[in-house]
Amino acid sequence: MSFKRDIMEDITHTYIGIQYELRKHLRRRRFAIAIILAVVLPILFYAVPKIWNTGFAETSESFVSSNLGFVNLLIIISAALFAGDAISGEFEKKTALLTFSTPQRRTSIFAGKYIAALTAIFVIVSLYYIITILEVIQIYGINNVPLDLVKSYLLALLYVCSVLSLTFFFSSIFKSVISSTLISFFTLMMILPIVSMLLTVVKIEPWFIVTYSAGLITDVFVQPIFMGGAGGERGGGFTEYAPDFGTGVWVMVAYAVILFIMSIIIAVRKDVE
Amino acid sequence: MSDIAIQTENLRKQYRNGVLALNDLNIKIKKGDCVGYLGPNGAGKTTTIKILTNLIKPTSGQAYINGIDVNKNPKETLRHVGSLVEIPGVYEYLTPHEMLTYFGKVRRMNKKDLDRRIKEVLELVKISDWEHKKIGSFSTGMQRRLLIAQALLHEPEILIMDEPVLGLDPKGMKDVRDIIKQLQSENKTVFLSSHLLHEVSETCAKVVLLDKGKVVSYDTVDNLRNMSKIQKIDVEFLKTLTKEQIAKIKLIELIRDFDIVNGSLRIDFDGKRDTCSQILSKLVSLGLEIVSYHPASVTLEDVYVSVMGEESGVG
Repeated sequence: MSFKRDIMEDITHTYIGIQYELRKHLRRRRFAIAIILAVVLPILFYAVPKIWNTGFAETSESFVSSNLGFVNLLIIISAALFAGDAISGEFEKKTALLTFSTPQRRTSIFAGKYIAALTAIFVIVSLYYIITILEVIQIYGINNVPLDLVKSYLLALLYVCSVLSLTFFFSSIFKSVISSTLISFFTLMMILPIVSMLLTVVKIEPWFIVTYSAGLITDVFVQPIFMGGAGGERGGGFTEYAPDFGTGVWVMVAYAVILFIMSIIIAVRKDVE
Repeated sequence: MSDIAIQTENLRKQYRNGVLALNDLNIKIKKGDCVGYLGPNGAGKTTTIKILTNLIKPTSGQAYINGIDVNKNPKETLRHVGSLVEIPGVYEYLTPHEMLTYFGKVRRMNKKDLDRRIKEVLELVKISDWEHKKIGSFSTGMQRRLLIAQALLHEPEILIMDEPVLGLDPKGMKDVRDIIKQLQSENKTVFLSSHLLHEVSETCAKVVLLDKGKVVSYDTVDNLRNMSKIQKIDVEFLKTLTKEQIAKIKLIELIRDFDIVNGSLRIDFDGKRDTCSQILSKLVSLGLEIVSYHPASVTLEDVYVSVMGEESGVG
């Protein structure tokens, strides 16, 4: 078979994989859970001040910034739901015995799974942003929708890629779905933020930690005072840092690309014992 | 073009825990042959099949399908293979139609052929009525039937099956046996690992006996039976044997061993005609009233136990 035809066949296999993975996501309860979270979370930011009559933030930027503070959490939860079992599940449930003995490259299978999970999370994140925009229009009027929302949205999608690659990486290492899902979740929710905080305490900027870079998603609305490095000292000698835009983007790209490649290499070499 | 469908050359697999599953395994299976793959638990049967289906990599050596190295070009080799390895998981959220469509598309089947074959294979494994029901609601036997359908979907030249009747009821086992016989009549190559010796002797003309990762014997079932050192005679008596009579039979040196099954005596001896005659004379001289005295047919199980040694167990 010619090289070109071989590549075309790999692409076809990936496409078939995407179709079936998306079907899986759509049929599982977890997609509905993620959709509910994407709808309920931003609605709460609108409904609670409205019901308690406490008033909204003064500017649309502040409102959006606090509202999108939870998009990181949504991305991490969604990645755990859609990708925690992407590779480990094939080995644990022994479906690999069926799928890997067919004439298709494992890279095509995993690429299909990655793109399908990415698509599912993009839908969830997009829904969150759409509801946020509708709320801004309702509260502040269409003219006050911050243009930086586009930048924030693109950063959120980039962050989805890096989080998904990290989850895929753990899914390729572990044989158990529970282990890979929990390790991914706690790494993103606890371990990396704790490491960031500890580095900050010892006055080292955690620029290389992806959860730190994710701060850019909301920082684009309300510029932090100490953008891109050590700022000033707060009470108690605590140094504050904020991610530099360029560095943060590159860190997210690096996590997305390197961890995805590593997860594919590990998964392809893994024996189905 | 070679007439060899499956070949392994010095195939070796050592797992990370140090277990040597295959020890320079060499087998050649001709196109159109149906070969049973037998051996005790841990002999290396599943390891061989997993290497042939690209599920694991060998430590050294080569495995070929139609002369192409599986390890180097799995996509090309697996195109011609239908396989069922161990007990795979199924995609419970899909229906049989959807699952088979996936595997058909992966194997580049066009829609018309795919739709036709889905109907045919589901009919063949007798789950047509469940074509559009979620697999999650299937019993183990039905899932197994579906997996067999998947292996047959693209009308492969070579069928590699590891314990295909596992989880099936007797009717299901017969159905699978019939399918394999049908494939043989279509000149397909079948490589079948099973612990059910009866299944293998019913369906395969040849068997590979494997032990500790090496081929112990590879021949036709008939040749193995003929070459077997095991020779038996069935003796039926008019009256049930007493303890004293049994004790006297034990003293006949020409008898290697014997069993009493439903009052009949099954004698192991060296297979020589002289010995056969002398044993009869000795039994008559003991005053035993013999109704019938005839050589027993040697089963594949007898051959297996003889070759492998009884301590290995059948598996």
